[in-house]
Amino acid sequence: MIRRLTLTTRLTFLYTLVSASVLLGLGVLVAWSTHLHFVELDRDYLQDKAHLIQKMVNETPNAAELSDKLNELLDGHYGLFIQIKRGNEQLFGSSSISFPTELAAGSGTAQPVDWADGGRQLRGMSTVLSTAQVPDRLASSVERIRLTIALDTQHHNHFMQVLRQQLAIYVVVATLLSGLLGWWAARSGLAPLRIMKERALRVTAHKLDQRMPIEAVPVEMAELANSLNTMLERLELDFAKLMDFSSDLAHELRTPISNLLTQTQVSLSQRRDPDTYRDILASNAEELQRLARMVSDMLFLAKTDHGIELPNRESIALEAEVASLLDFYDAVAEEKVVCLRVVGTGTVAGDRLMIRRAISNLLSNALRHSRPRSEIEVTINSLKNGTALCITNTGDAIAAIDLPRLFDRFYRVDKARTHPSSDGAGLGLAITKAIMLAHDGSVSVTSTAGTTQFCLRFPRQH
Amino acid sequence: MKILIVEDEPKTGDYLRLGLREAGYAVEWLANGVDGLHQALEGDHDLIILDVMLPGMSGWQILKGLRAQGRQMPVLLLTAKDHVDDRVKGLDLGADDYLVKPFSFSELLARVRTLLRRGRSGMEPTTLQVADLELDLLRRRATRAGKRIDLTAKEFGLLELLMRRAGEVLPRSLIASHVWDVNFDSDTNVIEVAMRRLRAKVDDGFECRLLQTVRGMGYVLEVPEPP
Repeated sequence: MIRRLTLTTRLTFLYTLVSASVLLGLGVLVAWSTHLHFVELDRDYLQDKAHLIQKMVNETPNAAELSDKLNELLDGHYGLFIQIKRGNEQLFGSSSISFPTELAAGSGTAQPVDWADGGRQLRGMSTVLSTAQVPDRLASSVERIRLTIALDTQHHNHFMQVLRQQLAIYVVVATLLSGLLGWWAARSGLAPLRIMKERALRVTAHKLDQRMPIEAVPVEMAELANSLNTMLERLELDFAKLMDFSSDLAHELRTPISNLLTQTQVSLSQRRDPDTYRDILASNAEELQRLARMVSDMLFLAKTDHGIELPNRESIALEAEVASLLDFYDAVAEEKVVCLRVVGTGTVAGDRLMIRRAISNLLSNALRHSRPRSEIEVTINSLKNGTALCITNTGDAIAAIDLPRLFDRFYRVDKARTHPSSDGAGLGLAITKAIMLAHDGSVSVTSTAGTTQFCLRFPRQH
Repeated sequence: MKILIVEDEPKTGDYLRLGLREAGYAVEWLANGVDGLHQALEGDHDLIILDVMLPGMSGWQILKGLRAQGRQMPVLLLTAKDHVDDRVKGLDLGADDYLVKPFSFSELLARVRTLLRRGRSGMEPTTLQVADLELDLLRRRATRAGKRIDLTAKEFGLLELLMRRAGEVLPRSLIASHVWDVNFDSDTNVIEVAMRRLRAKVDDGFECRLLQTVRGMGYVLEVPEPP
């Protein structure tokens, strides 16, 4: 349940809880200290008055005079009550209140005792009067004379009540205020998140150009915003690739399909002799085979484009694979009077069929663009950081502007050139690149003055 | 030889039936999986061609059912999906071969012949002969009308393949994979050139041309029918 609460609610709740406990503690402390302080004040006052009475007792020779003095004292101090007893005999007393019996046990230094009587809140203490210099009337017996003295604490109690109320009100109001403040702080602190949310809501497949604000957010969120932006960039790139891919596909398929359709319908428009039909069908079959190959190449690319798990990984001696491929291309090379050579050795790990395919694409490319009576050289080098296989041929110069784009799908240097059916659909180099990426390697090309070199680089084996 | 085809796409089924009939097989075609399995278990077919995606019961299930009943006739799977996993799954379940759509008919026919030839290998011949062309497999020598033909190792391999399967139209992909171990399409006309060179050595100067190109299909070695 708590997980479902918003971050703002959670922070506000926490903040309120903390301030409430702090304020409450403070309130209790203040009230308690004040109460203790009053008790101390009252004790001092009562002890003070007890001393005064002792002094009166000492200085007053007869009882009648003492009684007068005591009455005088009581008149002058509102809320003061006195009782002087010898044993159970009351010598002097304020008749308006009764004193509790437990007071009689007090010794005078003890804490005052609180009680209520007749609607009064009283605090009192009791002490034994020294009888060294008491007037004879009082000291007529050996029994001790006990003085009990009390104070009406209504005033203090009222003050304490008001203080407690005010403290309570303060605590409640302050807690509410800090809760409010906490809510505001959390909300304004989380504002960047809301902005991000709104941006994120605006992202759709057709609007991947939205980015999260980075300058406007605190450092902690800037990192999140950064990673989200990186993700969006990747998505945008991939999506663009995908769009290109499907439009390429549609575009490249359109021409052969419309050729097929036209040719077939033209042939059907009249009766023809069997040989003509055979020719038309054969040409259709060739066209269709090209289409089928293009589709399977496109699927292969789509699968390898994002780096696939290699079907199987084995150790491959490159020179042996190259030799067997040169054997394959031998007849075509002889026709063109092109000499094929392989130099060097190297072993790499990977999927044999895929690596053969990657090399084969480069070889057939080199053969297609080689000048007659030239040479194609394959060199294999084991380097510190891996193995490089380079294929060099002499022939058509490639413009620098075309070099990086050679590995794009369907990219052809000569747009206007019509392609014989033996030519691929312009996917060979893209496939080679995809295969190298799947092997954590790379493919590159350089071309100067008609000498073109393609290099495959394989990472070092572990 | 009897072949059972289980394929739900009408055009594909119809053409497979026609093509295989013309190649000289007795063909039965069914369009749904449940009937397919029933017929495969009841009948005495020498080969079964199964489409993987079928209504009622998939090709996988038919294959499982067949092998579970101990029927061991060869099975060729056809599928529109090309995943390595699918291929492995098919072979694990006991399929003998696997073709991805779109395939060329000549490729299918070549595979069907390979599967039907399996298990019937009698004595391995040491010489192959078609008309007056002879191939001595032990000495690795080719002669035509008694005259020695000088061949490279690969040309010999190519001629051997064509003669072993004389009369069959072999698609380029099959030739590339059998002779050069190249199991992917090369966009270069390697096979055409190799065949042209072989033809120059085998047929040049002879009235009867044995090596023939069947456009859109592949190559075949046979004594041509008189026009």
